[in-house]
Amino acid sequence: MSRWLRIQQVREISLLIIFGLILLFFGTQITNYFSARTFNRISGVVALITVVAVGQTLVVLTRNVDLSVGSIVGFTAYFLGRQLSLFDDMNPYLAVSLAMAVGAGFGLINGLLVSYGRVPSIVVTLGTLALYRGFLVEYSGSTSIATRDLPDWIKELPRVNLFTIGDIEMRVLPFIAVIVVIIFQLILTYTAFGRRLYAVGSSPEAAKMAGIPSARLVTIAFIISGALAGLGGFIYLARIGTITVVAAQGLELQVIAAVVVGGVNIFGGSGTILGALLGAVLIGTIEQSLIRMRINEFWKDASLGIFILIAVTTDAVLLNRLREWWAKIRQRNQHSEKTKNTVEV
Amino acid sequence: MSQEKVPYFEIKGVSKRFGATQALDDVYLSLYPGEIHALLGENGAGKSTLIKTMTGIHQPDSGGLLVEGKSISISNSAEAQAHGIAAIYQEPLVFPDLNIAENIFISHRNRGAFMNWGKLYKDAEAVLQRLDVAMDVRAQARGLPLAAQQTVEIAKAISMNVRVLIMDEPTASLSAHEVEQLFRIIFNLKKEGVAILFISHRMDEVFSIADRITVFRDGQFISSNLATEITPEQAIRDMVGREMGEIFTKEPSEKGQPIISVRDLSLQGTYHNMNFDVHAGEVLGFAGLVGSGRTNVALALFGIDPADSGKILLDGQPVEITSPKHAIDLGIAYVPEDRRQHGLILELPIVENISLPMLDKYASSMGLVEETKETRTAEDYRQKFSIRTPSVNLHAGKLSGGNQQKVVLSKWLNTNPRLLILDEPTRGIDVGAKEEVHRLISDLAQEGIAILMISSDLPEVLAMSDRVLVMREGRQMGIFSREEADQETIMTAAMGRVKLPEGDI
Repeated sequence: MSRWLRIQQVREISLLIIFGLILLFFGTQITNYFSARTFNRISGVVALITVVAVGQTLVVLTRNVDLSVGSIVGFTAYFLGRQLSLFDDMNPYLAVSLAMAVGAGFGLINGLLVSYGRVPSIVVTLGTLALYRGFLVEYSGSTSIATRDLPDWIKELPRVNLFTIGDIEMRVLPFIAVIVVIIFQLILTYTAFGRRLYAVGSSPEAAKMAGIPSARLVTIAFIISGALAGLGGFIYLARIGTITVVAAQGLELQVIAAVVVGGVNIFGGSGTILGALLGAVLIGTIEQSLIRMRINEFWKDASLGIFILIAVTTDAVLLNRLREWWAKIRQRNQHSEKTKNTVEV
Repeated sequence: MSQEKVPYFEIKGVSKRFGATQALDDVYLSLYPGEIHALLGENGAGKSTLIKTMTGIHQPDSGGLLVEGKSISISNSAEAQAHGIAAIYQEPLVFPDLNIAENIFISHRNRGAFMNWGKLYKDAEAVLQRLDVAMDVRAQARGLPLAAQQTVEIAKAISMNVRVLIMDEPTASLSAHEVEQLFRIIFNLKKEGVAILFISHRMDEVFSIADRITVFRDGQFISSNLATEITPEQAIRDMVGREMGEIFTKEPSEKGQPIISVRDLSLQGTYHNMNFDVHAGEVLGFAGLVGSGRTNVALALFGIDPADSGKILLDGQPVEITSPKHAIDLGIAYVPEDRRQHGLILELPIVENISLPMLDKYASSMGLVEETKETRTAEDYRQKFSIRTPSVNLHAGKLSGGNQQKVVLSKWLNTNPRLLILDEPTRGIDVGAKEEVHRLISDLAQEGIAILMISSDLPEVLAMSDRVLVMREGRQMGIFSREEADQETIMTAAMGRVKLPEGDI
């Protein structure tokens, strides 16, 4: 048993296999499916889900959930659109920072209420989901942002190509998502902060005993989730252009689905950013492909739901089996080691 | 030898109160470097509160903590760690999703913001080597055996330059071989000059490793001696030496036929070969320490957690009790230990609590509950047991502990039991209500109900039981008749200094 191959990797490999099967299925159903056009279309959607799912992953790792991300994406998209239409010479980097700062502010409110107000996160963020959406309605006065109000650079952003592999173009927005994934995967693996997030979710009681500042860590996780939802707002604005009060409504469900399908334990403590990325890719691919198949809206949602159920339940069953099997092998190894030791003694 | 040494850590006159309970009352403790200090006491003697005070979970109401003679305060576990104080519990607190190396170094603040995995694994291996154990430090902690988890906890403690290591019943769930390994580790730490506070209910262990033995009773400091200066018998006397006081004693009742007979009842890893009868009109006391398996036996009789081998005979007929519903139908009632969680539904009125297990009896032909009938029953019990409440429609949560317990008793007596199992029937209720409950138990026995009473309150066991069964670590240590049973015999049996009685089953 290699020490490098662990359960998490098994799960990511199985997701890749499922992804391959799904691609094959849609390839037979949709003419000209394997094309650059399909890739661009799907990657734009996946970029948005991924960026927000990365933040959600941090929150879920600590045994919490952030339901307000859809509303934050909607609000920041509208807010940034309004600012850009007023100040169309705004520096693009400043624009992105502004969106993330607003999102982080919303995240801070969530985090404080959860960790210092001791209200369960599902209740807090269900409240702020409605509250932040309410802010948007109030702020917009029920008017919309139209694409023509926006400066040219942001309108063209979704089509800006960074580099080309074969005939597949790597465009800016998916590239941002890839960068975010890499940064946060590194943070989770290689920083003390990242490891402590796992610790808090793995056993809150042990975390308390170990003197880990759980409240602060949970708050930071929510702030990051908010900031990345703000970045999501920027991506949403660039991709869609037309922003109404219902912008990104329901996105939180896709994001949480991506996180859960990607193997992040909803009870905290385990999961990876790469897993969440795979989850987002799967959800985005299925959704967009079903749209291309011209399946009606109801069946589209239902098939997505069925897929999520299948993915999560088979996963739970499969992983438990694997875990038992793993433990048995480990015990056997340990046992043989023990007997070895006593022989030496 | 340790007299001339300076204690590393001292507790001076610490008191701590929770509501009506004085958990610690002016206690003293001194821990010397390189000394194994055992702390003895019954359940509720204040040992856990003491540990929590030392690790910063509780703050003392009065008194002081001293490190190397200097007064300090500890307000959280990080501060306890800074003073070199670490605790290991019976149930280790590891992070299941992290690997062993991470678990060992999770509390370290000085390892920088970035993980150096290679160094982490090397350091973890070095720490484990100090303990003379080999483990795969890259393996997840999930699924590790308990003993291995404890080793990880100890490794965690020594990696932080521990000066005081508190071990709360570390051996309770270990096999003999694992205990041996643990003691080897403890002796290594002792050699390195760590002060060890060792809490255990196993007298043989305590006397084989401790240098000094301190006894607490009811939150009070009783004695502290070098292990060579105290005998196990004296230690037990110190632990139980409580005055019997004015406690209601059960009135004699007529012992009838055995209602329930238990033969070789076992549940893997929990209890083994239980053999006893409970006769009509008799109170059989179940004594033993918390965790000795008393409640588990009761749960088997009530069908919640059936045993995996052995027999239960009801009126001499073998029965298999598979669910609480089945048990109730057979005439068995169980009054659980935690009345607020398992005994009552606090948000429901007294009436509905009493009729709950027997709702079918109150259903009209239409299947609706007949409230008048329900209320009549509740009023009967209110009178019979003098439940003090303005109305039987009051929410059970509003009653005092004693009255709540009477409601629970009413609820189960209303099922017309022939065997009544009481689990800690007077825990947490005041003296007056306690006597009322005792009187009630006595009356029920006189009515011919067979009663099995689990209690950690020794005077209560002695005053109320016709016979006392003592359990220790899942084993039946013996059944003592009323004449044979006194505090010392029972405690001696419960703590494993075997002095077996003759008594019949």
